[in-house]
Amino acid sequence: MKSYIAEFDTKEKPKDYYNKLLENLKEKNRELNAFNNFNDSLHGGFPFSVKDNICVKGVESTASSKILKTYKPPFNATVVERLQKNNFGFLGKTNMDEFGFGSFGINCEAPAHNPFNSDYVAGGSSSGAAIATAILKYHVAVAESTGGSISSPAAFCGVVGFTPTYGVVSRNGLIDYANSLDKIGFMARSAIDVRKVLNMSTGRDTKDTTSLDVRLTDEPKIQFSVINQLMNGLDGKIRSAFDKFLEKLKGMDYKVNYVDLKEIEAAIPAYYVISAAEASTNLARYTGFKYGFKVNDFSKKYNDFFTEARKQFGAEAKRRIILGTFVRSASVKNRYYIRALKVRAMLNEKMRRILRESFIVSPTMPITTPKIADIEKLSPVQNYALDILTIPPNLCGLPHISFPYDYIGGMPIGAQVIGEHFNDYAVISFVENWERKFKYKFRYNIGAL
Amino acid sequence: MDDKEFKSLLETARISLIETESEKIKKDLEEVISYFDQLDKIDCGNLQPAYHPIEIPGIMRDDVPEEFKEKKELLDNTKTHRLYVIGPEV
Repeated sequence: MKSYIAEFDTKEKPKDYYNKLLENLKEKNRELNAFNNFNDSLHGGFPFSVKDNICVKGVESTASSKILKTYKPPFNATVVERLQKNNFGFLGKTNMDEFGFGSFGINCEAPAHNPFNSDYVAGGSSSGAAIATAILKYHVAVAESTGGSISSPAAFCGVVGFTPTYGVVSRNGLIDYANSLDKIGFMARSAIDVRKVLNMSTGRDTKDTTSLDVRLTDEPKIQFSVINQLMNGLDGKIRSAFDKFLEKLKGMDYKVNYVDLKEIEAAIPAYYVISAAEASTNLARYTGFKYGFKVNDFSKKYNDFFTEARKQFGAEAKRRIILGTFVRSASVKNRYYIRALKVRAMLNEKMRRILRESFIVSPTMPITTPKIADIEKLSPVQNYALDILTIPPNLCGLPHISFPYDYIGGMPIGAQVIGEHFNDYAVISFVENWERKFKYKFRYNIGAL
Repeated sequence: MDDKEFKSLLETARISLIETESEKIKKDLEEVISYFDQLDKIDCGNLQPAYHPIEIPGIMRDDVPEEFKEKKELLDNTKTHRLYVIGPEV
């Protein structure tokens, strides 16, 4: 099996290679909006990009929000430090939905475009990470997922996206969206490269109290469970392609069985309640004088000053702050927030029961790649409902991987495999095995660099 | 949610909206909250709320002061007077 990292050899003088790479990348970026900035002084190492909500020392890190414009962190995120120590070279910061609020890469100043067809979405919120992985042959992306922000864009852009068990990769240096849901993960063109960067990035970090010191396992499963309720809302073309995929799995001597988990649809409201509640407190730190955007009128009292600064948030960020403030309010807290936490406990228990004997498998997204214009017409509830396949593993902190397995109408589609907590390497091993059997090819020329 | 409740919520959240934005977000909010109401139908038995998806041991680091060397870079993100950050009147 090929590893892009292992094969990486510039053969040119490093400085010339990187200068040419950056020049070509900037040209492509004008059309696709994958990167928010580039590291023009990159002259060595295997190139890695970093989602714009992860801090890189001295580099503008905005989470694609106007409120963080000009913010340059004076430190590196732990994951960035660990990769740099392993001869990885920082390439640039990738575009995303503002603070991670979105599944399609359009909730930001410069909406992202799919590299297979720029009329279509790239997915989100790690839109730029997925585009960069698709258009750059030698590259690994550091991304982040709260409710599906790695799987969704990986599927729409035809690359591998891995989200680890919650707590396995340090969140130190991550600009928080929802602390109990955020996970730093990776995208690459093959599962073997994901394995390599995961190896370098795990381990307890004293700067993140939720980071864990655990040994990740690689215990294979021969059985795949399909949750019936998740198949109900699939687009017909996705269902048909997925059924063929399941047949291929059977051909590889895996067993496929169908199970019921009738409460699974409650994962969406539970996720949006918890994530909005946590986001509304996390975003309270942007007060107009500590980070990024500055309010210059010091005659304003604190509350007015604070309110003035928060006009910089985009529509979706404002919506989630208001929503989060509502579900945390004393009169409804038990009805929404506490209840959502109990639903998470219940779904976690039920999914873990299924995962003892099998992986859970589904398409990554229930629809084929939508056009940007079509997503803009959706109401928030219609939009949130499209996360039904990616939210359950994220809500429960389970390791999962999305990988490309076919095309529909010239656009790639992905499947998602979920494993037990800490059995992270097993889902990666499965995709390595799949890639050996059904080597994914970029069937359409997207002019990868 | 009536207009008075919505206005009070905006004040608590310190969010100021222009009129057209306000109408749209209020409508969105009502739709989303009614979607959240389906949580009422789920039987969670006696389960305790899961504040994290997995058990976090909650190990704290020792409370030992460390020198942060990049003070200048840190303060470059703010308006300062000597080593003090300038902020609004409380």
